[in-house]
Amino acid sequence: MAAFDRQDGAAVARLYGAAGDASSDIDEACFLWTHAFVFALEAGLAEAEIYRAKLVAEGRER
Amino acid sequence: MTHSDLSDLSGVTAPVATARGLPNAHYVDPQVFAEEREALLFGNWAGVGFAKDIPNEGDAAPIDFLGVPLLAIRDGAGDVRVYQNTCRHRGMILVEEPGNIRGTIRCPYHSWCYGLDGTLRSTPHVGGPGRNLHEDIKRDDLGLVEFPSYVYRDVIFVNVSRKAPPFEEYAAKLLERWREHDRPIYPGGGRSDFVLEVKTNWKLAVENFCESYHLPWIHPGLNTYSRLEDHYHIEEPGAFSGQGTYVYRQLEGDGGEKFPDFEGLSDFWDAGAEYVSFFPNVLFGAQRDHAYAMILMPTGIDQTRELTGIYYAFDPAEQPEKAAMIDRNADLWKGVFEEDIFVVEGMQRGRYGPGFDGGKFSPVMDNPTHLFHAWAADQIQKYRDAR
Ligand code: FES
Ligand SMILES: [Fe+2]
Repeated sequence: MAAFDRQDGAAVARLYGAAGDASSDIDEACFLWTHAFVFALEAGLAEAEIYRAKLVAEGRER
Repeated sequence: MTHSDLSDLSGVTAPVATARGLPNAHYVDPQVFAEEREALLFGNWAGVGFAKDIPNEGDAAPIDFLGVPLLAIRDGAGDVRVYQNTCRHRGMILVEEPGNIRGTIRCPYHSWCYGLDGTLRSTPHVGGPGRNLHEDIKRDDLGLVEFPSYVYRDVIFVNVSRKAPPFEEYAAKLLERWREHDRPIYPGGGRSDFVLEVKTNWKLAVENFCESYHLPWIHPGLNTYSRLEDHYHIEEPGAFSGQGTYVYRQLEGDGGEKFPDFEGLSDFWDAGAEYVSFFPNVLFGAQRDHAYAMILMPTGIDQTRELTGIYYAFDPAEQPEKAAMIDRNADLWKGVFEEDIFVVEGMQRGRYGPGFDGGKFSPVMDNPTHLFHAWAADQIQKYRDAR
């Protein structure tokens, strides 16, 4: 949670991304990937596209 | 009460010899202030900030323009864009503090994200948790609201009403007059950027800047080398007014060194300099070796923030040996502007006297001031007539 305290968007995005990948529930995974996507977008990280692709594959993002 | 009951403008647009100035209500009545906000400041191209303050891609500056929340941003193409600083979802303010936006603008409320180009990039959970799409959420229609904007001499101009003609048409006369000065300008930085908080209606600062009549009394130091006779009026009805001098003298360093000139200026500018109030709220100075701009940001009926930037023909970062002279020049100008404060504040207080009738213009010395009054009265009258 230190990443949140530091307001380190990149680290926060990765935490959410990893949590999404680890989830076995697709709704929960999409919820978490959404957060990863948003924080990666905000931080201008190229990996936003990776999270977006995961969401697009589930019909949750475009 | 009809709008025209707010004040009688019939005497203002008369020829200068017989005209009276704008009635007191235009300086002290909150209803007229609200009217002028629409008619003069939002209905035209007003200066709201400096491009130098958002130099890099993603730099963003929230601006409160008389209650309208604006967001000035340097986009990915290097252009300045001005958006309404309001989220399209629930209307949250998007950006609170100036800073750099690396990727997207994320609304602090429900995290809708907007690109630097204003497009809505994500709408998290908008269709339920983990579902970021919904058929009724049409992102293409939900980008940031953008205002028409234009950068001239580093000033970011905005037309809030969207009803003014395009900037290049609106400013055509000034663009033409100073065509020779269309050269890159570099902010002096440091002390060359300063802000003066002045307890006056913004128009009085415009009016004071228009005229040279006060120079011998208020700026006696300036006047030792620039006498009243050396000044001329600049009058462009409906657009701008001001004063020029034929005896501009460059600042010299201890060793007699001077700032480099803007390239390609005609002989006139060897000793010529011009100072223009560009309506509604921007004051410009043009000289052979430096320029300045002052934005009069009204923050209340009798409160004005004067934002000033001084600019050079060279990049100060590349000529650090000029830093001391740049500071000296900044201090000189700041001193001049500070000398004006007590007059613009005094004229504001004077207008709370109900017996003041708008004032009597000198038919010889006050022509540029009257030109501004006539412009304002005409704009306000048109605004009233349209309602
Ligand atoms: S108000 Fe901006 S996302 Fe809800
Ligand atoms: Fe002055």
